[in-house]
Amino acid sequence: MRPAASNTDAMRVPKSMSGTAVEVTKRWLRRSGIVAQLISLVLVIAVFALGTEGKNLSGANIQVVLSLAAIPAILAAGLHLTIVIGGIDLSLQGTVALCAVFVGLLSRNKFNGNDVGLWVVPIGIAIGGACGLVTGLLHTKLRIPSFITTLGISWVLYGLAVYINRAMIISLQDDRIQTFINDKPLGIANIAVVALAIALIVQFFEDRTRTGRYLYAVGGDEALAKQLGVKVDRVKILAFAVAGCLYGLGAVLLVNRMGTATSRAGLNLLFPVITAVAVGGVSLTGGLGGAKNALFGTLILTVLNNGMVLMAVNPYAQTAVNGVVLIAAVALTLDRKKLGFIK
Amino acid sequence: MKKTRFLVALLAGLAVSLSGVVQSSAADKTTLVVMIRGLDNPYHANYAAGAKALGQALGLPVDVLSSEGNSQKQFADLKAEIAKTGGNMVVNVDPNEAPDVVPIAKMLEDAGVYWVNWWNKPDDVKLQTYPHWVGHIAFDAVEQGYFNATELFKTFKTPNKGSIIAIQGMLSNNAAIGRFQGLQKALKEFPDVKLVQWEAADWDTNKAYEVTKQLLAAHPDVDGVWSANDNMAIGIVAALKEAGLAGKVLTCGTDGIPDAFDAIEAGSQASTEFMDSRYQAQLGLTMALAAKDGKLDVKAISPEHRAFLIAGTHVTRDNVKTFVAETVKVMPTYDLKDFYSKWVAAIK
Repeated sequence: MRPAASNTDAMRVPKSMSGTAVEVTKRWLRRSGIVAQLISLVLVIAVFALGTEGKNLSGANIQVVLSLAAIPAILAAGLHLTIVIGGIDLSLQGTVALCAVFVGLLSRNKFNGNDVGLWVVPIGIAIGGACGLVTGLLHTKLRIPSFITTLGISWVLYGLAVYINRAMIISLQDDRIQTFINDKPLGIANIAVVALAIALIVQFFEDRTRTGRYLYAVGGDEALAKQLGVKVDRVKILAFAVAGCLYGLGAVLLVNRMGTATSRAGLNLLFPVITAVAVGGVSLTGGLGGAKNALFGTLILTVLNNGMVLMAVNPYAQTAVNGVVLIAAVALTLDRKKLGFIK
Repeated sequence: MKKTRFLVALLAGLAVSLSGVVQSSAADKTTLVVMIRGLDNPYHANYAAGAKALGQALGLPVDVLSSEGNSQKQFADLKAEIAKTGGNMVVNVDPNEAPDVVPIAKMLEDAGVYWVNWWNKPDDVKLQTYPHWVGHIAFDAVEQGYFNATELFKTFKTPNKGSIIAIQGMLSNNAAIGRFQGLQKALKEFPDVKLVQWEAADWDTNKAYEVTKQLLAAHPDVDGVWSANDNMAIGIVAALKEAGLAGKVLTCGTDGIPDAFDAIEAGSQASTEFMDSRYQAQLGLTMALAAKDGKLDVKAISPEHRAFLIAGTHVTRDNVKTFVAETVKVMPTYDLKDFYSKWVAAIK
């Protein structure tokens, strides 16, 4: 009850407005669980500002960073849900591949007469959601560990995508979504606004809805959650399905940003997204961290990679740096008390 | 008991006779086998298309073995294929990785199967050790990087004078390394062109887009973006388009995928070099068939013609339309009489 008491104190003791604001911000930060991420973000930005002589702070570069962080942030907002419940989802690449191929084939393209227009957005989300639903059902009903289920599903979906795609590169001829992605009515590219909105919505769901709280209950202690009457399987399936929906949306944006769709669209996405989730402070043992963590993780990683490009760090070293960051982040956030043995 | 024994014997007999049928039908016709890395990209898928066209022309069965990037699957599939055909086959291989060539060579040598290899082999492995290994062939990657760089330089506001950024493929890959050497060669030849920065994008469209977008923020006034292949050029063009530079600042590629031809026609890509994997499949299989039929004496082939580089087809704005209509959209009839018609250099 300390926070409540201090709140009353803060109201009683006459302070300047700015002092109260500082207090409130401090308290919000403490509760939010993103202090470390904010500090890291500021540090990374500051280090690269020195390293690039301020080039990374130019308006053009900030725009680039925000729009590049958008798609991984949306994917991370999905993937982190499956980590919060104590599992993991490795099906990201397969789901994105399958959604990408469908998005390509259903939009106006060169290979067939289809043109579903903007309906491609809900359709892409629905296909991703269906993939997540199947994964969740397999995981819970057949009681297969999530990393195996999702790894298997990823290959099944990727295989399906390759089969349907037949090695074509499908060029889209409807550029409405592409234009929307890059327009800047609010000063930053719409795609970044969309990513921010999604992170906020998912965070709201986690903080303010009962089902959202159940995610943490399941991730924190599944047995206890079950005893308290939480329908654990349903919560888990929901997490995978929502994650799938967000992969579907990510695929729609990815394909339209590039103007082409192939089954290869999802390759090379899993590693950066999982790294972002871990860097953001979402504990890999479950029960800790939210969409805001995933968002900050993505931002930190994007700023890091952008900084390395601007500083012209040897490309041979850049990939390795990402690996080091992943291991360091997990080392710092892993709650070893929950694990009897580290395997 | 008697009945069961009879049934078992009957089934066994049937099984034996069935295998005999398969054996004999496989035995009269040589199977054309292509080993590729996957069907998810047009380049590898076209190996299969070329082999099938050749099979149809010669009336021979065709089998496509796709490793999906998995070396162990590649070996297992090959073993199964040798068992299935009883060794009556010829093989065209695009191995998953260079070291894979040694086990493949041993397996095919033991089975007495003639074969041709593409792209990758360890430098110290010599074909002369394996009498059934007819040829090792690759495209001249240095020439590809050089040709595309020089074409790109021509598109500058002041031709051959300006600055570029470069997007490199997978850093450990022979083709990527060779093409980058070609770029260096062109830069040496045109000292007024400066390479301001290069990054690797691992042949990936999305990664190429991301890297180019960042590089363009840092170097907004470049005159061209060199790319090690067409797949990455798609991403580069998307990034250039967003920066409002498409058509003003061009890129280049290699491979000859349909999107590259469209981009060349639209004026956002300067050039590409087409590597025709349909021809690769047909050339490799025809050479191996000739060796099997005794028309090509493998021992008598000179070392320069046993392991060699061939040239691809240059595609620029000048020839893209006719090239696509006459070569890409239809299955051309290739000159398969002279195996060395596209020979440019020996592989040492």
